[in-house]
Amino acid sequence: MFTIEFGENGEILCCGRLDAAQTAKAEEFLAAVVGAGTLDFARLEYISSAGLGILLKTQKRLAESGAGLKIINVNNHIHDVFRYSGFHAIFEIEAQ
Amino acid sequence: MQKKFARTIDALGDIYRFAEDVFASGDVQDSVRMPVHLALEELYVNMVEYYPDNDNDILLDVSASDGRVTVAMTDFDVDPFDVTVPRNVDTDLPLEERVPGGLGLHLVQRMVDNLEYEYRDRQSTIKFTKESG
Repeated sequence: MFTIEFGENGEILCCGRLDAAQTAKAEEFLAAVVGAGTLDFARLEYISSAGLGILLKTQKRLAESGAGLKIINVNNHIHDVFRYSGFHAIFEIEAQ
Repeated sequence: MQKKFARTIDALGDIYRFAEDVFASGDVQDSVRMPVHLALEELYVNMVEYYPDNDNDILLDVSASDGRVTVAMTDFDVDPFDVTVPRNVDTDLPLEERVPGGLGLHLVQRMVDNLEYEYRDRQSTIKFTKESG
């Protein structure tokens, strides 16, 4: 199960598990994001390489206009995945 | 515990639930659960995507004891593909040189403790373990 929606302050709230079966939902939502954005992962339990691909694709698109995604409230599992992927160097990331 | 799963990405939910049922009897912590979920997903998705028209189900054998998880995944009637070969992924590339994809096996190799591959009689078997600490 995975959900993605805007929060009250404009942040993007991700919840559940961003795996290979859920990437279409994330990709459709993030494709509509313009300019800088904050992804709140407080309720995101899990991410795999399929989810990383969507984040990278979005970050590259936003970087063309000088913007980018900030990711906050990252749990230990997702932090490890980012670290092993080198994503900590291409995203601004804040741990929980 | 063994179980066969259909060759579709939609089986992932059932695979996670199957693993969690095994974990419940083995005192498995989150620091082990999530890497095992990731390895199961990445390896299963590879099997599905490399042979989408293969009619054979994929066999999973998962056990847990004292916080340690052992997994064997067997794919039938396939060509060899050694998942233990280093992927040589450059994770230091800047954003503009990055392309989506290619991280799955790299992550598996970094996040499980022992990764083994066997090929015999057109059967690929991948084994790995994960324990805390």
